[in-house]
Order: sequence, then C-alpha cells, then structure tokens
Amino acid sequence: MKPAPFDYVAPTTIDEACAILAEAHGGATVLAGGQTLLPLLNLRMSQPFILVDINHIAGLKGIARVDGGTLIGPMTRQCEAIENTALQQHLPVLVEAVRHIGHHQTRNLGTIGGSVTLGEPAAELPATAVALKATIEVRSIRGSRNIPAADFYLGPYMTVLEEDELVTGIRFPDWSPGHITLFRELAQRPGDFALVGLAGALSIESGKVARAGLAWFGMGPTPMRARAAEQLLLGQSVHEIDPQAVAAAAINDTAPFDDQHASAEYRRTVGARLFASTLREAIRVREAA
Amino acid sequence: MSTHTVTMTINGRRHTGTVEARVSLADFLRDQAGYTGVHLGCEHGVCGACTVLVEGNAVRSCLMLAVQADGAGVTTVEGLAAADGTLHRVQEALMNEHGLQCGFCTPGIVMTMAALSGEGKKATETELLDALSGHLCRCTGYQGIRRAAQQLAKPEAMDTANGEQS
Amino acid sequence: MSAPNASTGNTERTAVADTAQNGATRVAGMGSGRYIGKRAPRKEDPRLLTGRGQFVDDISLPGMLHVAFTRSPIARGAILSVNTEVARDVTGVHAIYTQQDLAVFNADMISFYLVSPDIKTTPLADGRVAYVGEPVALVIADNRHIAEDAASLVEVEYAEEDPVVTIGDARSGPTVHPGRDDNISVQMGEEELDEELADKLDSAPHLVTQKVVHQRISQSPMETRGVVATREGAQELTLYITCQSPHLVARWVSLALGVPQTAIRVIAKDVGGGFGLKNHPWKEETAVILATMLFDRPLKWIEDRYENLTASCQAREQEMVLQVAFDNDGKLLASHGDYSVNNGAFPQLSECNIAVHMFVWAAYKMPAYGFLTRGWYTNTPGYAAYRGPWGMESLIRETALDVAARRIGIDPIEIRRRNLVTLREQPAESVMGIPLEDVTPAECLEKLLEKFDVGQFRAEQASLRKEKRYLGLGIATYIEPTGAAGAITTMTGELAQVRIEPTGKVTATMSTHSQGHGTATTMAQIFADRLGVPYEDVSVFEGDSSRGGFSPGAAGSRQGVIAGGAAIMAADLLVSKVKTLAAHVLEADPGTVTIEDAMVRIEGSPEKSRSLAEIANIAYGEPDRLPAGFESGLEAQYRYQPPPMTFSSAANACVVEVDVDTGFVTILRWISSEDCGTAINPAVVEGQISGGLAQAIGMVLMEEVGFDARGNPVAATYKDYHLPAISDVPDFEFVHASTPSQSVGGMRGVGEGGAIIGVPTLVNAIADALSPFGEVPVELPLTPTRLLSVIEGRDLGAKAGSETTAVMASQPGAAPVDATPETPVAPPQATAEDATEAVRIDGDWNMALATPMGAQEMTGHFETSGETLSGYLASAEGQMDFTGTVAGNKLQFDLKVVKPMKITLKYNLEVNGDKISGKCKMGIMGSVKVTGQRAT
Repeated sequence: MKPAPFDYVAPTTIDEACAILAEAHGGATVLAGGQTLLPLLNLRMSQPFILVDINHIAGLKGIARVDGGTLIGPMTRQCEAIENTALQQHLPVLVEAVRHIGHHQTRNLGTIGGSVTLGEPAAELPATAVALKATIEVRSIRGSRNIPAADFYLGPYMTVLEEDELVTGIRFPDWSPGHITLFRELAQRPGDFALVGLAGALSIESGKVARAGLAWFGMGPTPMRARAAEQLLLGQSVHEIDPQAVAAAAINDTAPFDDQHASAEYRRTVGARLFASTLREAIRVREAA
Repeated sequence: MSTHTVTMTINGRRHTGTVEARVSLADFLRDQAGYTGVHLGCEHGVCGACTVLVEGNAVRSCLMLAVQADGAGVTTVEGLAAADGTLHRVQEALMNEHGLQCGFCTPGIVMTMAALSGEGKKATETELLDALSGHLCRCTGYQGIRRAAQQLAKPEAMDTANGEQS
Repeated sequence: MSAPNASTGNTERTAVADTAQNGATRVAGMGSGRYIGKRAPRKEDPRLLTGRGQFVDDISLPGMLHVAFTRSPIARGAILSVNTEVARDVTGVHAIYTQQDLAVFNADMISFYLVSPDIKTTPLADGRVAYVGEPVALVIADNRHIAEDAASLVEVEYAEEDPVVTIGDARSGPTVHPGRDDNISVQMGEEELDEELADKLDSAPHLVTQKVVHQRISQSPMETRGVVATREGAQELTLYITCQSPHLVARWVSLALGVPQTAIRVIAKDVGGGFGLKNHPWKEETAVILATMLFDRPLKWIEDRYENLTASCQAREQEMVLQVAFDNDGKLLASHGDYSVNNGAFPQLSECNIAVHMFVWAAYKMPAYGFLTRGWYTNTPGYAAYRGPWGMESLIRETALDVAARRIGIDPIEIRRRNLVTLREQPAESVMGIPLEDVTPAECLEKLLEKFDVGQFRAEQASLRKEKRYLGLGIATYIEPTGAAGAITTMTGELAQVRIEPTGKVTATMSTHSQGHGTATTMAQIFADRLGVPYEDVSVFEGDSSRGGFSPGAAGSRQGVIAGGAAIMAADLLVSKVKTLAAHVLEADPGTVTIEDAMVRIEGSPEKSRSLAEIANIAYGEPDRLPAGFESGLEAQYRYQPPPMTFSSAANACVVEVDVDTGFVTILRWISSEDCGTAINPAVVEGQISGGLAQAIGMVLMEEVGFDARGNPVAATYKDYHLPAISDVPDFEFVHASTPSQSVGGMRGVGEGGAIIGVPTLVNAIADALSPFGEVPVELPLTPTRLLSVIEGRDLGAKAGSETTAVMASQPGAAPVDATPETPVAPPQATAEDATEAVRIDGDWNMALATPMGAQEMTGHFETSGETLSGYLASAEGQMDFTGTVAGNKLQFDLKVVKPMKITLKYNLEVNGDKISGKCKMGIMGSVKVTGQRAT
C-alpha cells in the first residue's frame, strides 16, 4: 500500500502555490494536514502528478476575529482550534465538531481547511460550515472569490473548487451571543464517520428565532442543509418550537444511503429522532439559563 | 517523481537521507534510519501502530511524508528508555499491568501515552482513554492498557517498580 | 503484587493442591511453588516495549528485493491473456512471474492436515480466477513502491462470469470449480432426518428452532502476513515468516514444495498475532518462496492491510439451524442440527466443522442428536481457522436455551441447571460418545452466581423498564476440548529441552511459539519453580525450526497444557541429575539434596551448600569428579504426550443496556468464571480470555467482511472493517475455578475460550434486554439497524442481501444445465446394463473416502460368491478384512475400527461399469462420500 509516484513542491506564498496549481492543469493536489489525503494516496485512490504542500505558507494559518465574524486560516490544525478561546466563545458548535474529528493523533496534523475542502459527506466540518453559514475564500491566478459553504459541495469529495484554486480562508459569521447550539453525532466508535450527524445554530432575538442554520452529515452525498426546518423555525418564539415537527421537516432534506454500517431507513428514523431530542435538549438548556 | 534530501533529529541523533517524495515518514524511519520499532499496521491512519512524536506531538507516521518532517525532531519508541535500559514510566506501567501480548501495536500505544504522560505532562484518565481510542489492539482486550492509563493518571507519583512480584 | 484495580478486584485465586498425574512421575505441590500461579512480569515485554522486537518486516538481507502481486479484480472467470511487457519495462523491476513460471516446481499446496486438497490449489491463478484479490502475477522489484507500480501495469484480460458469493448462491448456482458436480466441498451426517429422532422432535411438548447466521470475519492480526525467503546455499532455504509455528511451516513447506533434499529453516522470533490465519503458508507466501528459488535472490513480501482484509483467508461465515425439543420441565429430549460453512474458493482446510456437532451438547444431558453438516465452495477468499473455529456450537445452543427458557417460562439459569452434567454426575458420556470426567460448566456457573446477584439485577431491570430503559442479562456456559494431541497428524506433543549452563543460569529451548501468548514467560515460571532457581535466571528460546522439535505451536488452546507438562517433566529429570551429582560430589545421600534459589543444599549439613554454578562447573568441566556412568553436563529433554483431550469449562455473564432510540448497545458489566485448571500465570490467563472476549464483542456488534453481489469486498480498510476499540470493551471481572486436569501440571487450555463463550453471552444479554419487543434474530453482527428493526417491529434493513439473489436468479436453470454435460457417465445406460449383464465386482478398486481432513485413499479388494461378499480395505495404515452382502450391483459391508475412536463403518456401495460410488456411515459422525474406479 504505497503511493504512486508524484513530485512534491512546498511553496511559501499563496501566489506561488496558485501559480503551481495553474500550471499543473489539474494534475496537482494540495496537501494540507494529509490525514484524509495520505490514506487515499497510499491506497492509490488518488494519483496526482504534483503534491503541493501548503504547510509552509505562513499566511494560511491562524484564527482571527474580523468584522462580524471569525476568519480561520485553512492550515489551522484541528488540535489548535479545540484550544482556541475565540472559537470556544464565538463558535462553540465548531469546536464541538472538531473534537469529533478522527483521533487525538490525527487532529495534531489534520487541518480545518483540509476537512472543509475535501467534502467527505459524513465528516463533521463540511456540515458545520454549511450550518453556520460559513463562506469559503478561494484564490487563483485568475483572482479570488467567496463561496457560501451551502453552495460549495457537489457530491462525495466533489466541490465547486476549480483545479487552479486554493482555499485561503474560511469565514464564519458571528451568531448572536448565547445562541442555541446543536451538535449530535452517532458513530460506532470514536473517530468513525457518522451514521447520523447534525450541526446547527439558532440566533434568538427578543425570544424569537432570528437566524437558523441546520445541516446534516452522513445523511446524503454532501452535507445536507435542512432548509425547510430553518424556514419553519424562523420567527418562532423559542417556547413555541415543536422539535418533532422541525425534525420531520429536517429529515425531508436528507438523502441517506444503505451501507454495511447502517441502512438508509435507519439513518432517516434515528436522524429524525436525534434531531428532535437534540433540539429539545438545547431549548431546555437555554430556558433553564 | 522528485527526490529530496531530508534531515531530522531522531531520538536525539541527526539523520540525513534522500527520499522519493512518496516515501512516508514511517518507511523512512524504518528502512533508512533503522527504527523498526515503528510498526505499520494499516498504512491508512486507523490502527495507530506507527504513532511517533513529531516535535513532541503524537502523529501517525504513515500519514506524513518523510519530506514533510524535514528539519523536525522525531521520537520513536526506541528513544524513550534511558541509556541504562531503565524503562520510561509509560513502558513500565504497561509492563506492570500486562498491557501487551504480541507487542505489535505496542509502540504506537507507548508513544501516545508518552505524548500525554511524558515528562512534565499529566493527562487525565479521560484524556488518555480518549487518545487511546485511536489505537487498535487485537490481543489484549485493552484491559492492561486501560489499567496502565489509570496508573499514569493517578495524582500521586507512580512507583510500581517491582510491584508485580508478590 | 501491585494493588489490583477495580477490574481485577474480584479475582479469586484458588491454591491448587497436589495435582493428579497420568504418568509414573508424581507431580506434587503445583501452585504452592514460588513462580507457578504468580502474575510474573513477562520476559517478552522489555524488548517489545522498547521497539526491539523482531517481526518479519524488520528483517533486511543483503541483495533483498521486494514483491507485490497483481490481483484479480473479478470474482469468477477465465484468464484470457496476461501481458507483462509494460510492467517489465519499469525501472527497478527485476522479474514478473505467473503460475506458468512457478509450475516448474509442481508445488502441492496441502491442507492443514498435510494432505492434498480435493481441488488443486496453486500459488498464483492457474487459467481461472475464483475470488476478487486472487494473486495472478508476482512482481519482483527494488522496493515495494516500484513493485506496486509495476503490478498495476500488468495487463490481464478476463472473461468474467457471474460469481457464487453466499452459501445460498452455492446451493443453487454454478460450480465454483469446473468439473465438480456441485459446490459441496465436504459433507457429513444424514440428509434425511432419522425417523426416530423426527418423532422425538415432533412429539415433544416444546420444540425450539433456532437459526443463526454468522458473518464472515477477518482474523486481522495487527501484524499482517509476510515472508522473507532466502537461499543460503544450493540446498538451504531459510524463511523468516510470521506464523503460529516455525516447525509446522518447515514441515508444510518441505511436503508442499517436494524438495526433500533442501534444508529448510524457519525463523519467527516475534509474531504480531495469528488467531488461526498463520497456521501455514498459503498462496502468496508459497509464491514468494517459489519465486525466491527461481530468481535466486532474497525476497520480501509484507501483506498490506488492504490485501489482508480482502485477499487473505477469512473465517466463520456460517449458517445453522438447531432444533431442540424440551419436556414441560425444560429438560432436553432431542435435537437436530443442520450446519453450513462458506469455505470460499481455496480453503486451508475443507471444513464442514464436525466439531460443532461433537460438542454442541457435550456438557448437557441430551438423549438424542442427529445432524447434517456441509462446507460450500464460493467465489470468495478461502476459509482458515479463527480462534474457536467450532464456536457456533456454543452460540447456537446457548441462545436456543434462552429462547426456550422464555418460551417455556423458566429462568435461563434454571434451564441450564436442569440440563448441565454436573461434576458429581461424571464420569459420563455425551450423546456423541465423548467421555466426560471432569468438566465443570455447572460449577463455574454456580461460582459465577456467587459474584452476581441475579435477583437484584432483575429488580433493577424491571424498574428501569418503566423508565423506558432496557437492560439485559446474558448468561452462557461452555466446555472446550483443549490440549489435543494424537487425533490429527499435525497435533502432537511438545518438546522441552533445558540445561543448567556452566554459569548456573538456565536456558531452555521449547517447541512452543508465541504470537503474544507469553510462552517464554510461563515456561520460565515452570522451570524456575521446578528447578529451584530465580525466575530472572531462566531464559526460554523458541521461534526457530532449527531448535527444539516439532509442534503445531498455537493451535487449539494447547501450549500451556502440553508444553507446560513437558517443561515440568524435563525440569524434574534435570533436578534428579543435579541431585545425583551433588550427592556424589558432596558425599551425601541424594534424598537429602535440595535446590533452592540456585543453591544446592544438603539437609543437616549447611556447610556443604554449593551454588548451582559450582555444581554445573563440575558437571561440564571436571569429568574426573562425576559418578561412574554419569553423562557430563546438566541437560535434559522431554517430549510430553498429554491425555487425548483436556477440557476447559466456563460460565460468563454480561449486562448490557440497549438504547431503544438508536439500537446502540452499551456493555455495563462482564464476569468470566472459568476453569483452566492450574493457572501458570493468572495475568497471562486473563489476558488470553480478555482478548478472546474482545473478539467476541467484535463478532457480535461490529466486525464484518461483506461482499456485494459481484463478490467485491465492501470492508477493504479499517475504516469499514471495525475492530473493537478501547471504548468498546468493558473491564472484565474474573473468577478462576482451577480444577486440576489429568495432564501433568494440571493445566487446561485457555487460548480460545473467550472468543467462543463471549459471543452467546453478549447475544443473550441483548436478547434479554429486548425481550419486551420480541425475539432478536441471531444474524451477526447485531448492528444498530438490525436491533432497531426488532425494537420497532419493522425491517429497517438495507436491501443489499436480496441483490445477490436477484443476480443469481437472473439466469434461470443455469446451474443444472452447466452441471449435466460434466457428468461423463450417462446414468440411464448404466442401469440398463445392470439389468442385462452380470456386474463385474470382483477384483481391486482404487477408492477414496471424502473425510473432512481430506480424501483418504485406499484399495478395496472384493470377492463375491452368490450373495456373499468378502475382501479387505487396505491403506497406508494397514489392512482390514470384512464380509458382507451383494445384491445386483449393490455392496454392503461393515468394518469395526478402534482408532481414533471405536466406531462401526457401514459401507453402502454401488458398482457402475468401472466406477464405484456410495456412502460410508461412520457411526455418530454421519456419512461421507465414497468414490473410486477399478484398478487396472
């Protein structure tokens, strides 16, 4: 189980990296933390001509508070994100999601950007980015653009990212202080991909839901945004929310599949149930506080 | 297919070698540097047998290229015991608690525990067990591994030397 | 002793009194010794903890090259062409071989029983492929990376055919191996239910029909398979190979390769787990060995995990239906078992698992039992052993008993109490004729119940159910034949060679082999104990076929029992030698000599004390001071032949909670109460049980090698093949019963028990938890989807299983049409001839008996006179005469045999032209096929 041959380059600037990607015409793959890419290389499921290691680009690291949100450099290690106080304060759902990624050892190398960019449909971060209405900032020699996470994912490991584009930042908007947080993952063992997963946030203003972001993971070919449930919640006062009804709406926005670990019907049944109980519990905690 | 000259400090010794880009850190440590205590159990990051310390952090050496570790300090299981053979406290805890059988997964488990309970570090039992969920052992049913973790997390200094012989 | 933690706090250690013995030597005081019975730290650990172990991938030889395989991407079909040109041109590639190249050696890949399998098995695919992953070409290159590059460039053209994947497919589909009548690899028992048995089942007040579907398992040792082969001279072949016995590998290679003049040495110092997968080389290892001989350079092949999960032999896939009849008190009346196992395409042993039937009711008072048992060929990787290969017997019996208890309305513990054979009721004989002298499952159960308050649990269970929380208690008992030697050619005694070095230190060479078993530790404990030397002074060597002698190593829970006995006997011989010499040198009576702490002392004369080293120095270096006729040196060896079978017994209990919202299972408590006789090292014993129980948890809850309808593996990595992690395995509590066995030292085997009893224990706990919702179909693994289906009373399952059926059903009539032309003799014609012509019976016939251990060949000599038949059957084992009857072309005769057990063989044969066929009924073992032709 050894990778097919490839060239390795380690640019030190974003411009340099973009130039290499452009020149490779699709033959390049970006190496971030490598915790998903390396298994794919070892299994020869990915066979790039050039591996572009972006670990040496200083500008891709770090977590910064920016106007109305938090900008996370894609090369921020998952272990760093867990420890970051700004994230703990402003994006508790994201921190909870990162805790569920892989294991201690893979979080030491694995990055926020790597997980968001690869688009594994059962992974935590793509769904969390969709739920929290993150924007993915990308650059190429052609320029830069910002892509809403909800529009980023096309299918398993398939995104709208062009072959010459590099993710340079993930911007998470602030949710109102004290927003309701939702996160639930059902997996056989710690570190396994989710059988059922959901992430979400609800901003409450004057006792009513002012903004809602909800998404599933492990419940379809991409992270599945629960749009109908979001719509249902908007404007509702917190104590009026019927978790069962919201869950029923949310489960309609999934397209789960059968595999050896769980059937689609299992995922639907348990998904709706966990959605309702997670929402109910989150509301209870808020009411109690 | 590019080749690269890499230099790392492995268990305190400088080691320079030339590698193809595709060679993993694990293969470099085993085949070129001679640290065969680094075991490859799956080469896709699940079993944890290849875990080593890079700059003090436990990482899968099968999920890192050798070229990525250029300039880094690496510790393998060969680098823990004292020169006189005295075992590291993690190794001693595993021995006292019968935490290994075939010993193939053991180097990785030792390194994760050493990363969290090594010199100047004191992980809680929960932290240790959480990190150990990233290791597969087919022999022991994890009984002695868990006991060793509990020993290491105990607040008082652990001294179980010769503790097994009654 | 360090402070025991919570998980071992309940451990009970029973001192063992004088041990029974079966030989002339009285073995007394076991367990009161200084080392036997102690949780000694392991001799193996310091090197393994510091990365100084020597596993096969750690071997590197000058000039060594690396191997990778091109493997079949399809499950069934013909190879039309193989083109290696492009691959051969890759820089760093040295050679590419196909079966055509390796065929010059004519290797005979024999089974675990060391006989030719009834389907020819070649190292590389020979014209056809029969499973996804079957090796087709072997690439030799500078390193593994390049070898894999080239392997992917070998172009193979296939004519793909629809595969036979499941046991169901095998029953109705085309034949996996061309030229065979069906996909039955081996069959025993009776196809038609015996009338008397059928009556008993039908007329019983309660009849439980229990079905178990057991998934396919990957043994998955953490160290995958691998070999480094080198010729160290024209007539020397050295193999470093990860295995379960270097001696068995050497014997297998010698026989399989047909190179008797070659000195074969097999070295395996450290092995990263075996669990049945590494009994002997199979396709890939054999191909590498042959390629080494062909290319004449050291070659290394290390299986990667993808290969291990998809192309290694696998285990356990089986289905069984057990009918069990009970009276109104829950007492057993009769039973019938129908068992099938998926043997894959090229099994290491053509298995129909007769042991399932031998042991299913062995410890229970069961009046009548009948069975049918079959192995099936399919287009999947071949069958190999896995810890407790016959474990189905415990799984189906113990789950059936719980179903019966619920149905009849009695307590599951009570139903066992009413039916188990207690120690007081022994000696007894099981329904299958197995003599029982000292099995203790009933006693283990009672000891277990001293540690677990069932009444309290039931109260807690009832009150929690009101809160919609579902707890369950599972109880199971079992017995296991361990330490077997003599019944199978590979299962032998064990050899211990021990010497006191001139330094006074002790060195021993054992025929044992550890894949984590810690035999260097337990054997050292015995030597230290028996010789009177410190444990630290003893070194035990194993793992090299050039040292010690033959043994199958770890197979069948045997090393502690047999090698332990050998170590005791060898040590005692050596002690007697020391005493003789010391008495002579020190002018004392041999009866007054003692050895303690490496000092030789004379009772009553403390001034005469000498160190063992002093005595040893005399033994080796001062021949003038030796008694007359005394062999110089201090060395002894003993090969111990144990009693034919030594039983271990156990009872386990576990408590689970099932989350009825998700179908997830949490194990809350687990108690193991086992009787392994003398525990040489309780920590090692508990380690063996714990590892087996963890594997049982994996089998019940998460592990599964699956295939899609085309025979493609669906769990190709550890992301999808789920081994239990630390979070899946609870703390185990132990109760040790310790009834000494009849073997020297009193040990009983403990290697496999956990993997056997753990499965029904956990299944029963889950079924108990979910009993308010109905019975849980025992289809492993019990995934959340399957359990939620029970909880919700509707099928939430994936539709993957039916897909296979659909594919097979899409070719109606394919099977019979395919099979017919392959039958050379048209039966109607033969019948017509019978009526008109005299049948030629007299003379010699070459015949074969299709036994589970392979075809047993023999010559039959028949003489007829009217309706009387006489003659003999002759085989390598000897000749036996018989008389019988003839009616037309039908022959009947009986043979009484005493080995390996007393049974009457009833032959019913039919002669058609120059062919002879029929059945041989082997008593309780059922019938096997007989085929043959006239000797020319």
